[in-house]
Amino acid sequence: MNTPADDGNDNLRYAEYVLGVLDADARAAVAHEVATTSEAAVAVALWQRRLTPLADPIDEVAPAPYVWARIRDSLQLDAPDRLQPRKGLWDNLQLWRRLGIGAGALAAALLVAVFVPRPALTPTVANAGYMASTLQQDNGSTGWTATMDLRNARMIVVPGTPVAFAQGRAPELWLIPAGANPIAVGMIAPDKPTTLALDAALLARLGPTAALAVSVEPVGGSPTGQPTGPVIAKGAIGAAPDAGAGKVSVTTPKRADRTSA
Amino acid sequence: MNVTGPGGGDELNRLLQSTGRNDQAAFAELYKRTSPKLFGVCLRMLRDRGAAEEVLQETYTTVWRRAATFDATRASAITWLVALSRNKAIDRLRQHREELLDDPQNLDAAVDQQPTPAADAESSQEYRRLQQCLDELEPQQQSSVREAFFSGATYNELAARCKVPLGTMKSWIRRSLIQLRQCLDQ
Repeated sequence: MNTPADDGNDNLRYAEYVLGVLDADARAAVAHEVATTSEAAVAVALWQRRLTPLADPIDEVAPAPYVWARIRDSLQLDAPDRLQPRKGLWDNLQLWRRLGIGAGALAAALLVAVFVPRPALTPTVANAGYMASTLQQDNGSTGWTATMDLRNARMIVVPGTPVAFAQGRAPELWLIPAGANPIAVGMIAPDKPTTLALDAALLARLGPTAALAVSVEPVGGSPTGQPTGPVIAKGAIGAAPDAGAGKVSVTTPKRADRTSA
Repeated sequence: MNVTGPGGGDELNRLLQSTGRNDQAAFAELYKRTSPKLFGVCLRMLRDRGAAEEVLQETYTTVWRRAATFDATRASAITWLVALSRNKAIDRLRQHREELLDDPQNLDAAVDQQPTPAADAESSQEYRRLQQCLDELEPQQQSSVREAFFSGATYNELAARCKVPLGTMKSWIRRSLIQLRQCLDQ
């Protein structure tokens, strides 16, 4: 049996803190004790050892790669951008390009490859590594299709409808985070697929609230770092439909603030 | 991954200790190995992918800053990490309580956490032991403890969900905690 002191309110408060039933004020009080007294820290650690095994049956769900990019970014680490380089879809794309398949067919094949769900052997990794965007022109036709391979930190941009450019002008691709200024991604070809590397700063800002846009710029790129010519195509960024689908059912975040460039 | 069971536990301890010495490669490896478990925990508690991603990010930035305080004699690395992510998730639930309560989907009581036979077979010795001790509780008390653990709800919220007076909920949970400690510390 436990002594009365063991069963005192204090020890139970630590148990209640670990279980998670205390309100905000009581939680803050225990957290302060844990940070300042070793008795509280030891008692809480003991309760964590007793209760945390309850989490054993919770299914693992791989987080989207941009979460790691954001962590690296916020801590300003030099650790690698990508954790799990993997082959597959991307190498197929390169192969298709070498085979000289036309852009339209490539774009179609790409969309099929990205959006067809894979066999559900490893549901937690599904297509979480890819995001896609269709950049539409004002007349509604598809200007470019962009597919972002997050694990390998690169993007392929495939033209849909050919666009004519005046001499000395070329398309430049921009990433527009919600409520922020456009960030240059790079110059793209008007008539064939372009592969662009995504640095950590760009990776960290890819997500469902960001958009892509193409503007008309001098061949060497915008001289100011911001778009100077007209925007000729734009599109929201979306995850592949079953991205990260796991066994856990989750609600989709409601985003009312989707940016349109 | 078992929270407390074997399966690379020592190596996770080493990775977390190296992270405490500002070893970025160890931190990246630790993230790679443990983030799916922690993300599963965050999703389970917050039921919203965007919120779970933010809490996961907050958890690992805290891991980087606080890894040096990890004491392997008190808890295994995965217990320390899961407990940290639960704390962050609960803090988030307290901050956003009103908006979460507005969404009826977030109120869905998720009491169905009885492990499947397969999960049971894979589970750690610690988990089986805890399960045995939980089985000794009255069914209502057992489900209150489980729901408290997985939902991060306050006494008030739990009492409302189970439609019992606050005092009843408090006494169920407190009695359960005392009983669990006696059973586990035997």
